[in-house]
Amino acid sequence: MQNRPAIVAVGRTRFGEHYEKEPEKIIEEAWLKASENAGIERKNLEACYLSDYFLPITNKFGLEEGFLSELTELHVPMEVTRSFSSALSNACNAIQAGKHNIVLVGGIEKMTDRWDKIRDDLMLLEDPWSYYAGCTPEANHELMLRAYIRKYGIKGDDLEKLNIALAQISVKNHLHATKNEYAQYQRKITLEQVLNTRKEARKPLGLLDYAPISDGASALILTREDFAQKFTDKPIYILSSASATDYLTFPAREDMTHFLVSKMAMKSALKTAGISLKDLQVVELYDQSTVMEMVSLEDLGFCKQGEAWRNIYESCQDYKGYYEINEQKIFVNMNGGLKADGNPLGATGGAQIFEIFKQLRNEAGERQVRSDRELKHGCILELEGFGTKGYVYILGRD
Amino acid sequence: MSSEPIERRVSYLGDRLKGRRCRFCGKEYFELKNYCGTCGRKSFGKMEDIDLFYDKGTLEVCTLVNEPTNKFTKLGKYIYGIVSFHNGRIRVPGRLTDRITKPDEELDFSTLEGREVVPRFRRRYSVERCDIIPTISLAFTFADEYYQHQEYNIAKPRKEHDTPGVVGYGVYTSRFRVKEGTMERSVPFTDEDAITAAVEAGKLALIHSGIDSSLVGKVYVGSESNPYAVKPIASKVAQVLKLGEEDEDMQGVDAIDTEFACKAATSMFKDASSLVSYSKSNVKYAMVIGTDNSQAAPRDCPGGELDLFVGFGGAAYIFGKHDVIAEIEGWYSCTSDTPDFWRRDGEPYPMHGGRFTGDPAYFKHVRKAAKKLMERLDLQTKDINYFTAHQPNFQFPAKIAKELGFKEEQYMHSLQVAKIGNTYSGSSPVGLAAILDKAKPDERILIVSYGSGAGSDAYSLLTTNEILDKRKRQKMTVKYLTENPFVEYVDYTTYRRLKSGM
Repeated sequence: MQNRPAIVAVGRTRFGEHYEKEPEKIIEEAWLKASENAGIERKNLEACYLSDYFLPITNKFGLEEGFLSELTELHVPMEVTRSFSSALSNACNAIQAGKHNIVLVGGIEKMTDRWDKIRDDLMLLEDPWSYYAGCTPEANHELMLRAYIRKYGIKGDDLEKLNIALAQISVKNHLHATKNEYAQYQRKITLEQVLNTRKEARKPLGLLDYAPISDGASALILTREDFAQKFTDKPIYILSSASATDYLTFPAREDMTHFLVSKMAMKSALKTAGISLKDLQVVELYDQSTVMEMVSLEDLGFCKQGEAWRNIYESCQDYKGYYEINEQKIFVNMNGGLKADGNPLGATGGAQIFEIFKQLRNEAGERQVRSDRELKHGCILELEGFGTKGYVYILGRD
Repeated sequence: MSSEPIERRVSYLGDRLKGRRCRFCGKEYFELKNYCGTCGRKSFGKMEDIDLFYDKGTLEVCTLVNEPTNKFTKLGKYIYGIVSFHNGRIRVPGRLTDRITKPDEELDFSTLEGREVVPRFRRRYSVERCDIIPTISLAFTFADEYYQHQEYNIAKPRKEHDTPGVVGYGVYTSRFRVKEGTMERSVPFTDEDAITAAVEAGKLALIHSGIDSSLVGKVYVGSESNPYAVKPIASKVAQVLKLGEEDEDMQGVDAIDTEFACKAATSMFKDASSLVSYSKSNVKYAMVIGTDNSQAAPRDCPGGELDLFVGFGGAAYIFGKHDVIAEIEGWYSCTSDTPDFWRRDGEPYPMHGGRFTGDPAYFKHVRKAAKKLMERLDLQTKDINYFTAHQPNFQFPAKIAKELGFKEEQYMHSLQVAKIGNTYSGSSPVGLAAILDKAKPDERILIVSYGSGAGSDAYSLLTTNEILDKRKRQKMTVKYLTENPFVEYVDYTTYRRLKSGM
C-alpha cells in the first residue's frame, strides 16, 4: 500500500449500558481519549468519518454530522456510514488520495435505549423475506451451524466435540475480557453455563453463544504516513483495507456454511499487505456468535474448511491463551471479542482496531500476547449484516 | 408498516411464491428478475416465470425460534428454516406452521431436516386492527402429514353438458380440533382466518376439477367473518389462485364477496351456474367459496352459547358446463326478514335470538325451500339418494331430515357438524362435499342451506359418470380431513387463543 495511512491514537469507552448518557456524550468520551493520547486539537482535524447503524432509529438522530459539528465546533467535511470499518475505509481512501492529512474516525451505537424493539431493528440487516418468514437476529447463525454439520457430515462424538468447541469460544472470550477494563462483561463463564443456555433454549445455540446488545463508542486519529511522527513515535500503519459484498439474502447464497466476503477480503488484504498468513498471529474476529468465530477461522485461512472446531476443541482442553493451529499460536479476540467486550454495532470495529493497535505497540497490559516471533502484524475482520459485507484490515508497525 | 405499496409488492410475490428462471443457465430467482445475474444481457427479457405455489420443497436446515421479533410473538415458539425447491436450484426462508411447540418437547432438528414440505398460504404476522392484513406463503407444513402435497394438473375438457353443474370442489379445514363430549370442532391455527381458508379451499377445488384457473371468469366468496368490513376476500383469492387471464399484474376475473349469514355461498351456486350457461358471458367457469372462522363470543358472555358449536373452514365449488360431476336440476330460494342471529358492524361477535332460532327461523325456511323444490321437480324422498341441510348443530338437520321423510342412510353421511363444527358459510357446502366424495353416478342430492336473517336455498343435483374419474384427483376428502391421524386436539384455552388469531 502506497502512502500507508497511519493510526496515531485510539480511544474508546467501556461497552455496556450507558442509559444515563446521550449518544453525543459517549462519542465525545472516545474522541477525547484518542485526542489526548496524541495531543491533537480539534482544529487539526480536516474531516470526520463517523459510523453508526441505528442512531436514526434508536435515538431519532437523522443528521449525525450536525450533532458532531455542534460537539466539536468544527465545520469540516463529515460523512456517516454504517460500520466502523466502512468509515475507516473512506478515511483511508481520502488520506491516500492526498485529499486530507489528519482525520477523525469514530463509531457509536446506543442500542439499549430501545431494548424492546432492538431485535426488530436488527432485522434491517437481513433480507426482508427472511423477516417476513419469521427470521430473528439469531436464526441464521443457527441455520449456518446446521448447514455446517450437514455439509461436513459431523456426527456422534465429533458433533459433541463441535458443540463443546463452540461453547469454549464463549468461555475463552469471557476469560480474555476479565483483563479488559473496557469490556462489557469482565467475568468468567463456564462451559456448563453455555451448554445450559442452549438446553434451556432447546436449540443449537443459546444466549451465551451470542454477543450482547451494547452502547459504546470508539475513535481513532488517522494521518498521512509522513505526518504520523508529529503525534507519536509508534504509529501503526494500515497495510491493507479490503472489503467484499455478498447477497443480502442468506438462503440464496451458494454456500450457507461460510462467508464468501471474508474469504475474498482476506485474499485481497494479504496480497496488498504483501504478507502471508504465517505473519499473522493476533487476530480480532467478528464473533457475533460462536459459530461466526469458528467459520471465520476457516474463511480467513487459519483452519481447513470443516476443521476449525477440532483446532478449537484441542486448544481449549488446556487453554493457554491462544489457539494452536498447525503448530502456530493464533491469538484470537484478546479483548474478549464481541461476546464479552460488547457489540455496539457502529463502534465495534473501532474496538477491534483499538485492540490490535495496543497489541502491536505492546501496550495491552495484562492482555499483551506473547507470540513466538516479534509481533509486527495484526488483522481484524468486521462483518456487516449476516456476512453481507466483510472488511479485513491488516495493521503493521515498523 | 403499514405501507400500502410495500404490502402490495410483498403479497404479489410472496402469496404465490413467484419467481423467474433463466432460459440459458437454469438459475432460479425468488423475484421477478428481468435478467439472469450469471448470463447477463443476453438473458434480458428472456426469463421464464415460475411459481412454487403447487410445488413441494425440502426443509434443508432448521432451528427453533423461541424469542420471535415483536410482530411474530403470537405464533409462540416455532421452527424456522430454509426450504429448497427444484433440487436446490432455489432456496427460500420459511417457518413451519400448524405446529404447536410443547414446553417439554425434545427437538432433534436432524429428524425434521431433509423432509418434504408444502407451502401454505397464511397470515404473515400481527398488525394493528386498522392495518392491511399481511399474508404470505413462506409458511410450510410437512408433505406427508395432515395436508398432503397434490399436483395441479390441468386436463383438457372432454365433454360439454347441456346442464351446468359442479365441475370440481374442495374442502379445507385446519389440523386442530377441540373436543367436548362427542362434539369435535375444527380450530384455525393462529395464522389462519377466513381469507386463508378461502384460498386453500379454492386451491383444492382447482386441483380436483383439473380446469385451467385462467378460465375462471368469476369468483364469489361468501363469508360472515371476513376480517375486513370493507375489502373483499375474493380479490385475494383471485390473485393468489391466478383466476382469469393474467395480464401484467392483474387478473381478468370478476371477484365479489357476498354476505347472508350461513347461506352467503350457496345462494351464489345458481348465479354461477347461470353465468356459465349464458353464452355471451364468456365465463367458462365460476367459483363459489363459503369460508368462515365462525365467530362466537366467549362462553360466559352474551352470545356465548354459539361457542359450543363454531368451527373453522371453507368449501369451494367450481361451476361450468364441461366435465360436470353433478348437474344442477333446479333450485328454490325463499327469504323473510327474521332477526334470529345478527352481528352489528364493528362488533366482534354475533348475537343470537335464542327464542327465534328453531321453528320460526331454521325449520320454517329449510322446510319451505325443500318442499317447494321437491314439488317443482315432482320429487318424492325415495327419488333422492342423499339429503343435506345447514348444520348449526347435530339436532337441527337431523330433525328436519326426519320431518321431510328422509331415512338415516339418506342424511347421516353428510352430517359433519359433530366432526368439524359449524363452519357457517361453509356448513352445508361441506355436507354436500361429503356426499360428492362417495356418491355414485346418476344419484340425486338435495341440499338445503339456511342463512340467518333469514333465508334458504334448495338445490337438486344429479351426479354423472365424471364423478368417478375426478375422484382420483383429490386425496383431501372430507373423510380424509376428519379422520386424519395428524389431527391435533387442543384444550379450551388454546382453542380460544388460536381462534382469536394474530
